Amino acid sequence: MRKFLLTGLMLGSLICSDSFAQSDYPTLSQVTQRLQKLGSNSAVELKSLTKTEGGKDIYVLKVGTGAKDEKPAIAVVGGVEGFHVLSVELALQFAEKLVAENAAVLEKTTFYIFPNMSPDAYEQYHAALKYERRGNAVPMDHDRDGKMGESGYSDLNGDGMITWMRVEDPMGEWMVYKDDERVLVKADRSKGEAGKYRVFKESKDDDKDGEFAEDLQEGIAFNRSLTYKFPVFEPLAGDIAVSQKESRAMLDYLFEQWNIFAFVTFSPANNLSTPLKYSAGDAKKRVVTSILEKDQAINAMVSGIYNETVTSKAFQQTNQGTDGDFFQWAYFHFARLSFGTPGYWTPEFKGKTNAEANYLAWADSLGWNSFVPWTVVKHPDFPNQKAEVGGIKPFVMANPPFEKVGKIADEHTAFILKLAEMQPKLEFHNLKSESLGNGLTRITVDLFNNSPLPTHSEMGARSRWLRKVRIDVDATKEKLVSGDKIKLLDSLGAYEKATFSWIIRGTGTFNIKAGAPHAGFATQTIKL
Amino acid sequence: MKITKTTKLIVALALSALCLSSIETNAQQENYFRAIGSPHKPKVEIAWNRYYSAEGLWDWMKKIAAAHPKLAKIESIGKSFEGRDILTLTITDFSTGKDTDKPAMWIDGNIHSNEIQGGEFSLYVAWYLTEMHADTKFIQELLRDKTFYITPTINPDARNNFFKEPNTANSPRSGMIVLDNDGDGQAGEDMMNDLDGDGHITMMIRRSPTGRFIKDPLDPRRLMAVGPDQVGDYEMLGQEGMDNDGDGEVNEDGIGYYDPNRDWGWNWQPDYIQRGAMRYPFTLPENRAVMEFVMKHPNIAGAQSFHNSGGMILRGPGAEEDLNTYNLEDIRIYDAIGKKGEEMIPGYRYLTVYKDLYSVFGGELDWFYGNRGIFTYTNELMVPYLYFNKEAGRGNQDEQLKVDQLLTFGDAFVDFKEYNHPQFGTVEIGGFKKNFGRAHPGFLLEQDAHRNSAFTIYHAYHTPKLSVMDVKEEDLGGGLKAITATIFNERMMPTHASQDLKYRIERPDYVSITGAKVVAGFVVEDEDMKKFKEQKASPEKMAVENVPGMGAVKVKWIVSSASNYSITVDSAKGGKASWKK
Repeated sequence: MRKFLLTGLMLGSLICSDSFAQSDYPTLSQVTQRLQKLGSNSAVELKSLTKTEGGKDIYVLKVGTGAKDEKPAIAVVGGVEGFHVLSVELALQFAEKLVAENAAVLEKTTFYIFPNMSPDAYEQYHAALKYERRGNAVPMDHDRDGKMGESGYSDLNGDGMITWMRVEDPMGEWMVYKDDERVLVKADRSKGEAGKYRVFKESKDDDKDGEFAEDLQEGIAFNRSLTYKFPVFEPLAGDIAVSQKESRAMLDYLFEQWNIFAFVTFSPANNLSTPLKYSAGDAKKRVVTSILEKDQAINAMVSGIYNETVTSKAFQQTNQGTDGDFFQWAYFHFARLSFGTPGYWTPEFKGKTNAEANYLAWADSLGWNSFVPWTVVKHPDFPNQKAEVGGIKPFVMANPPFEKVGKIADEHTAFILKLAEMQPKLEFHNLKSESLGNGLTRITVDLFNNSPLPTHSEMGARSRWLRKVRIDVDATKEKLVSGDKIKLLDSLGAYEKATFSWIIRGTGTFNIKAGAPHAGFATQTIKL
Repeated sequence: MKITKTTKLIVALALSALCLSSIETNAQQENYFRAIGSPHKPKVEIAWNRYYSAEGLWDWMKKIAAAHPKLAKIESIGKSFEGRDILTLTITDFSTGKDTDKPAMWIDGNIHSNEIQGGEFSLYVAWYLTEMHADTKFIQELLRDKTFYITPTINPDARNNFFKEPNTANSPRSGMIVLDNDGDGQAGEDMMNDLDGDGHITMMIRRSPTGRFIKDPLDPRRLMAVGPDQVGDYEMLGQEGMDNDGDGEVNEDGIGYYDPNRDWGWNWQPDYIQRGAMRYPFTLPENRAVMEFVMKHPNIAGAQSFHNSGGMILRGPGAEEDLNTYNLEDIRIYDAIGKKGEEMIPGYRYLTVYKDLYSVFGGELDWFYGNRGIFTYTNELMVPYLYFNKEAGRGNQDEQLKVDQLLTFGDAFVDFKEYNHPQFGTVEIGGFKKNFGRAHPGFLLEQDAHRNSAFTIYHAYHTPKLSVMDVKEEDLGGGLKAITATIFNERMMPTHASQDLKYRIERPDYVSITGAKVVAGFVVEDEDMKKFKEQKASPEKMAVENVPGMGAVKVKWIVSSASNYSITVDSAKGGKASWKK
């Protein structure tokens, strides 16, 4: 009877899953269901770009109407880090809100949404053994000893989570934090502080090499294996940048979409709470490692809009990019405007400076159970020492409880829509048509970029992977007495104009078209 | 006997593309007298004074593999952009071990499609090793110890385009992917035009009352600039072509453009930093095929890439920013081999890419060395020195005109001829042919191919050669014995380049003992001072991080029983060797 009831309940929840409010981050199959539902909308193309080594689809949604390849586009990317499950939900909810509530924006803007770039790693959130995973499912030799993944995590206390492990040892570098005894900090030996613990991820020395959790049973991390500052030979990065199916499939797809002018990436890197800094020295080197000066001003402007739109006040948001990551790739190597935010962080609480102590104090105040108390375990590698397992649970610092996601998604959707309103916008103004006699007419017109953003950022103007602004007139060679039939412009700045003139022989209509896929197009017809 | 011979004859006949009668060939060979250093009666007769299309090269490769089944195997390692096979010959003495168990040399050519002779030079190595094997002790030993992986063209699509379609000496250089070069949204809308239909893209000049040139009255091929106070009667219009798309530019959007030698995954940089790069490392299927082959063949210890031109033996770094990648220990070895090359190939100089040529990212040689720890050279084939054994400088037009007058009798030049151009009116079209200047003239091909092949053979010879020697036993009492073995490397290259050691690119070398009960194992740090480094886990399989060139490491075990034991060394780049009691 009881069994029957349970089965019935499970069945019921399956059937009615739509009507029940989701209470936790979705499983991969729930993500797929929601994508398929989105895909049934006429404005949405759902495509699987490839399957990962773990057999998971890498999806992209292309959302737009009409001539969608000729409208400026924003790409929204989630699942850049597998443990950052919030980012997948933010990308998904953006897509859902876009289609259901904001379809009018599609008249002018196209969107690409990559909901989850790390599905192999994402799955660990729902697995029997939960840990913050970054790598995909390829076998990998992170410690480069000739053996693959031979020394990963072990769930020593059997709680289904990988947390931390501390071993009492006077030679250890760690000590208990004075304000919160749950937290460990590095002893400051310059102040005469003595360490008390050695600290490791929860693990055993499986290969007996004296190292712990140094060769994880996970593969390459998407957000560590792109080309900008690729950390060659390092764990989770591998030997060659963009070596994985998902990264190649995504990049191959992106390089065919000429209309993307900006990226919004949900990942730990943040240039929205605070813009990137400009360094003249690094910007002028052959290998550019600073945002360029004019692009920094754009970043600052967009950051201002973000901070007006998103209510959460920034605290300890110091990650402005890590080696091999996606957020920096989109700017430094793909030359698009690139904006990134984790979407969520622990707010400053009671003036605590230690991030973990701050988090725990805040979590305590909300009654969240997010700490595994330090508990003694028998550890085979430390038979004569006191070993304890405990620490902050995986996922909780990067991802809020699910009920908090709705508001975050609303605010970030509003931000992305504001960014769309700012997109480059080409218009013709001050059209003049003067008769010169003998059947000749001089046409003069201004091409105006009616936007706070340039058609090409400073970086964008350097890249061959953005098209130039092209001005075409449809007059034949015989009719065109002077003026260019085809003219290319490297860039048109924010609220900048360029003036063109032609002398045409004869009568009829004369059409001008100007633009680039990522800047949109303007057309003008003149009757002669 | 007679029947089999006839069958062979028929097979040979069927194989022969040129329908030369084998009977005739055999009869002729009776009239030959051996020249030192060349295959006397080669099973595969290749003319070394002409160039071969991709299919032509493959035809010879297949013939080499068919004629020497114990020494050569052919395989496709991948497909080009247009779907052609990338064919690789594996050359080794298969009777003495698997190719993958021996230190190997990778050789390729023609990565730049217009740099054609790399194809013939690579093929020459394969031909020479297989045809000389029977008569030469040195080559027998070489192929017993080593493997050669030879891929004459890693850009077959555009190689054929260079031969069969109108081109200059510098085009296409890339492969056959057509990109949008001028950023106008269209790809390849204004290719070169072979206006005079001769297969060569030469130059256009025009008579003009305001021109700044005149034709040399003594040599109508030569346009001379007039002095600052003189009036000329010709102007230069540039490359043979038209404005096909009406944007006011001529030939501005052709094949490519990208550079297959900016596509490799070591400190790769995008196009705005490194012109010619594609989307990410190994975007190009031809390079990806090579990369995947090399990753699957960790026995490759040396590599050679053939380019043209200028007479250079180049080592990395390609980019100044990579200066720290190459350290002194490895440079000593590079220098020793490279300087020997200067002696072997007159007119060629041993140089470093970033400071002597240009500073570039994403080159093949940097990937081979930086990412895989493989000692690699790029040779820029053909140097004008070969014309008159004189240093006249690169691209010296006066010398080139003289060469074509005295040595090639006008075959290298398209004389200026009038043409009615749709945009420029009456012009004259002419100039040097695409296969002159960078490519060797036929009479210089074989000698230079031989000398460059000899250089790569010298390089391959100095990949590591390991042996287990000087095994000593010492009775320690109490039923214990110490066994010490020396692993000797009798060539210049170490099993791990210093770059390899720095990043742990390749696994360590393993020295294993079987048939003994091992109590403890040590790497000997100083035998005389009795300094040993113990390996606690699996002491029967000692991990040695490197066996230096022309040097040795010693390994010591304490065993509780050992009778008919054997000791083996297994190194990814150093091959295998064993010793048995």
